Amino acid sequence: MEKRGRRSFLEIATAFIGGIISLAAGIPLIGFAISPAFKKGESKWVDLGLADRLRNSRFKKVDYTFTAKDGWVQARKKRSVYVTDVGNGEWSVFSRTCSHLGCLVRWDEKQESFLCPCHGAIFDKTGSVVAGPPPEPLQKLEVKVEAGILYVKES
Amino acid sequence: MSYTGIKQFLSERLPLEALDTHLRKPLPKHINLLFSLGSLAMFLLILQAVTGAFLAFYYSPSPEHAHNAVTYISTEVPFGAFVRGLHHWGASAMVIIVVLHLLRVVLYSSYKAPRELTWIFGVLLLLVVLGFGFTGYLLPWDEKAYWATVVGVEISSTAPVLGDFVAKVMRGGSEIGAVTLARFYALHTIWLPWLAFGLVGVHLFFVRYYGSSGKPENTPEEMKTGKPFYPDQVFEDVVGMLILFVALAAVALFVPVPLEDVADPTNADYDPRPEWYFLFLFQLLKYFQGPFEILGTFVIPTVGMLLLLFLPFLDRSERAVLWKRPIALTVTSVCVIGIVVLTILGGTAKKLETTEAAVQETAQPSEQIQGAATPDTEAVEEGEEVFDFQLTEEEIENAVEVGEGQQ
Repeated sequence: MEKRGRRSFLEIATAFIGGIISLAAGIPLIGFAISPAFKKGESKWVDLGLADRLRNSRFKKVDYTFTAKDGWVQARKKRSVYVTDVGNGEWSVFSRTCSHLGCLVRWDEKQESFLCPCHGAIFDKTGSVVAGPPPEPLQKLEVKVEAGILYVKES
Repeated sequence: MSYTGIKQFLSERLPLEALDTHLRKPLPKHINLLFSLGSLAMFLLILQAVTGAFLAFYYSPSPEHAHNAVTYISTEVPFGAFVRGLHHWGASAMVIIVVLHLLRVVLYSSYKAPRELTWIFGVLLLLVVLGFGFTGYLLPWDEKAYWATVVGVEISSTAPVLGDFVAKVMRGGSEIGAVTLARFYALHTIWLPWLAFGLVGVHLFFVRYYGSSGKPENTPEEMKTGKPFYPDQVFEDVVGMLILFVALAAVALFVPVPLEDVADPTNADYDPRPEWYFLFLFQLLKYFQGPFEILGTFVIPTVGMLLLLFLPFLDRSERAVLWKRPIALTVTSVCVIGIVVLTILGGTAKKLETTEAAVQETAQPSEQIQGAATPDTEAVEEGEEVFDFQLTEEEIENAVEVGEGQQ
């Protein structure tokens, strides 16, 4: 009986110590693996060009590049947005990334809408969802004009 | 579903009772702490596999990225220095524990019949562990990694007939470079782990099939009347693992893993030194020069490994503890002392000091290799109008100056 009690104790103690080792190794390892999810991206203003050259009531597709840290690499990132001025010094700059699953939308002049080639999403010129599965509007980017240059906030 | 329900579900589908009975089978009497070394080696193998798998999340096996990736792991990723420390120091601990395990087997002559196959697969595992070490230390792509690999691969090229071919296969060409790093990474993270777990599986099968060898002085009755493997021996093993893990974690926390400057194939000032567990081979080469070099690079290591592999068939004496076998005791002592002395001599050898500085001229390549960019937009559709008015830094400065002038 006493031997059996000792054996039960050893079984529990073995499981307990095994659990401690697993936790002591597992917590840092999981923290190591998932840490990028908690990393806040740096936001920065990136120039799109001279505001006068971009001023247009139609949407213009503008590509731009900027340098950003990507892990251990200083990478040259490339982005694409649609830009239009809406008057009174106000600008509309939309990300081309569909809010559904990340495909790139295209502006259709005839329909005056942004169309997504993947799942048929349609956004109007304010970025609001008109049709299709997207849960939210197109992302409108923060902009500013300084010294005649249009900047977009990249984050 | 309750615990009892899960247990019943599994019992109806798996031979759990038979497994339980097998695990609780008694070991021989007089099993001491040295018999936990095999379990500790397996624990370290698992720890190395797990930490290595996590390190791979942040590693890139290319000469342009490897060193930066390792620096990033060590300095920027949370717990990165700790995880890398566990892996680095774990490798050294693994070599020590595996060698101690081997010496325990020699001490009690446990390799003798019927356990010859257990021994052979154990020696093969030792080779795999050394293979892990050799392929692993190139991965940080620092000076030590590069130059130790240059020397290591050159050693293999001295082997007769196929030496040069083997060296070229190892390098993936005529010199250490991107292809070498990629294949060492593949060997280290795919080929060797599969091989190791396969060999461990066979080794463990033999260990369980033949049972623990116990001590040579055990009577046949004592061979089956000791404590049960589970939970008694497993408990002792787990306590050993806890102590080993705490020690490793302490070293990983307080002793930074070295990372030298990025590999420079033109750095003639660097004195190449291998990891400590290859220092004895490195030192051995100093005693064999000219036509005798092949003795140090190929003949002695190969013959030594073959003798070790086939030891159970060479040592046909009765099973007894080492100090009752004068020949085995002498050979083992000479080998152990020889390796320890060569390791110390190799580690403490003075590095080359040159008195005259040579005039250095460095040709500047017209085009340096640039860091990889990662464009993340799609290619421009054909015929689509794209506006790219982005300014250069100079244009921005000019525009700002004009703007300030107007205010």
